[in-house]
Amino acid sequence: MQTLVQRSFASELRAILAVANKEWTIFRRYPTWIAAFLFWPVMFPLAAIMTARALGGPSGAGFGAFAQLAGTPDYVAYIALGNTVYMWMNITLWGVGLTLRNEQMRGTLESNWLCPVWRISMVVGQSLQHLATSLVFLAITFVEFWLVFGVQIVRGNVGLVLLVLALLVPCIYGIGIIFGSLVLRFKEPNAMVFLVRGLVMIFCGVSYPLAVLPGWMQTVAQYIPLTYAIQGIRDIGLRGASLAELTPTLMPLAWFAALLPILGFVTFTVTERRARRTGALGQY
Amino acid sequence: MTTVTPTLTRSTAAPAVQTNGHHAAASPTMVEVRDLRKVFPKRPADTRPLWRRLLPGGRPAMEEFVAVSGVSFSIQQGEIFGLLGPNGAGKTTTIRMLSTLLEPTSGTATINGYDIARQAPLVRQNLGAVLTGERSIYWKLTGRENLEYFAALYHIPPQTAKQRVSELLERLDLANRADENVERYSSGMKQRIAIAKALLANPPVLLLDEPTIGLDPQSARNLRELILEIKNEGRTILLTTHYMEEADQLSDRIGIIDQGRIIALDTAANLKRSINQLDSLQLEVENFEPSLVETLTLMPTVENVISHSGEPTWSLALHTTDSRALLPEVIALVGSRGGQIRAMQVAQPTLEDVFISLTGKQLRD
Ligand SMILES: Nc1ncnc2c1ncn2[C@@H]1O[C@H](COP(=O)(O)OP(=O)(O)OP(=O)(O)O)[C@@H](O)[C@H]1O
Ligand SMILES: [Mg+2]
Repeated sequence: MQTLVQRSFASELRAILAVANKEWTIFRRYPTWIAAFLFWPVMFPLAAIMTARALGGPSGAGFGAFAQLAGTPDYVAYIALGNTVYMWMNITLWGVGLTLRNEQMRGTLESNWLCPVWRISMVVGQSLQHLATSLVFLAITFVEFWLVFGVQIVRGNVGLVLLVLALLVPCIYGIGIIFGSLVLRFKEPNAMVFLVRGLVMIFCGVSYPLAVLPGWMQTVAQYIPLTYAIQGIRDIGLRGASLAELTPTLMPLAWFAALLPILGFVTFTVTERRARRTGALGQY
Repeated sequence: MTTVTPTLTRSTAAPAVQTNGHHAAASPTMVEVRDLRKVFPKRPADTRPLWRRLLPGGRPAMEEFVAVSGVSFSIQQGEIFGLLGPNGAGKTTTIRMLSTLLEPTSGTATINGYDIARQAPLVRQNLGAVLTGERSIYWKLTGRENLEYFAALYHIPPQTAKQRVSELLERLDLANRADENVERYSSGMKQRIAIAKALLANPPVLLLDEPTIGLDPQSARNLRELILEIKNEGRTILLTTHYMEEADQLSDRIGIIDQGRIIALDTAANLKRSINQLDSLQLEVENFEPSLVETLTLMPTVENVISHSGEPTWSLALHTTDSRALLPEVIALVGSRGGQIRAMQVAQPTLEDVFISLTGKQLRD
């Protein structure tokens, strides 16, 4: 009896695409996401923007201090950019992290792992699909800020913006895969999402300049890649920074971009091995 | 309520009966399991909050739990081998080790000659497995989408895959619902998609964990027929069940497993023959005096007594070495204490009786 399996590098890639395609099909069949995608990009930063407006006073007199610390008076774009990166991280945590957990709970995780495909390929495929939907989310955000506030949140040198994004993607998905692995292991996704996004929310200067944080918190911020990405995008768009000016911000980001996917792979592999020993995979 | 009251005439841990030799000459061995063991690390429940658990130290000490305790058997090509055992016997754990989802603690096994520990990808290529039944497929996808998806994960070339998927949908009688979401399927149809998924790569070996659990009797019957058809294609099948009729009907040979050990292994006929000297005397009694169970158990030819207390009728099953002599005695005894016998029969031993005589307990309660 001859099996129909024909393994090759191409077939592994096809499997990854099949995973992404399956995720997309399932995603499409839960229509609630459309509302969320239209609603959150503007709603989420709105609280911070309105707070800023109130503190700035009717004539905008209070913005002087902000402009000095932030390097720009454009507080709407400033807050919107930080919040958008935060939201991207957030939907990735829920997305990649919870997709694995959901598969584990539904029973499909094991039925995927019965196949000869590499187990990491499933995660890569899922990340691909999440990346694609996240780019749609970013586009919607951009358009909405333009329509609602008349503010173009991304501006300046497009090449540099793309460079920052290219470095940010591996960071976000590396963290997403580490996070997903830990969720498989500890099975408490909600508590863990709150922990991670709380860190990002407070330490990365999502809605305020880092300079307002106490010294020790600024030190913590240095160890979170999103800090550099947010700062980089703001510098490009709001201050017209050049590549040379950006280098000190982008170098640490590049290191994170190289290390986090590797760390993600290692965490996933260790979790998967451990699950095979303890049998924890099939439990929920 | 069910109680089993064994007498002490028979040991409860009978040695395994091994008869692998009968088949070995005829056809090649497709599944070979040698002394497989699985010990789970088990930590007593940790009730501390998550943040505390993430910090090192202070955790309750690990304990060990032996789920599978040295299981050996082999399955020849084209054979259906049934693992029959009660809840928690270690059936699923055994199957999960064979399908490379779990690492054995010790022991070895091969599938179509490939070692489950050292050649896991090759094992997965040669294996179709249905472990969690209808939960192993995506309910938000159609039947066809499910199969095409898994075909890609099995590295089946796209053209071959399309053809194979249509062929299987046709074959399993799912073609006309193939483009509907699985969530709208009946349990039986979901189970068939799960089996189609396992057959995608045309594997020589199939592992089925409780294939008919949760199905209505008609669907279960259809599924058993399907399993026999799959066997007749020359595939080798290992299935687990805790329905003795199912094991009896499907399996060429049966391993009875209890508490992680195979306690008997043979054809259904031989297993039943091994306790042929035992009859099963079954009674339905109204106004039964419960203390009589004890008395019946102590009668010399009685091996054990199983009693179901119902209102108003009790059912009793006695394993006896001499039903002829026992029958009048039992009738007299029950009657003397005000019981009215409503029905009575002497039955041939079933696999259930084999299990009871080996372990002193029932397969199901
Ligand atoms: N991952 C695990 N960690 C700890 N113990 C486990 C694990 N998986 C199974 N067990 C235990 O091992 C024993 C055997 O379980 P298993 O699922 O193999 O039984 P089974 O024969 O399939 O029973 P059932 O008929 O209920 O499906 C059970 O007592 C179960 O609680
Ligand atoms: Mg089981």
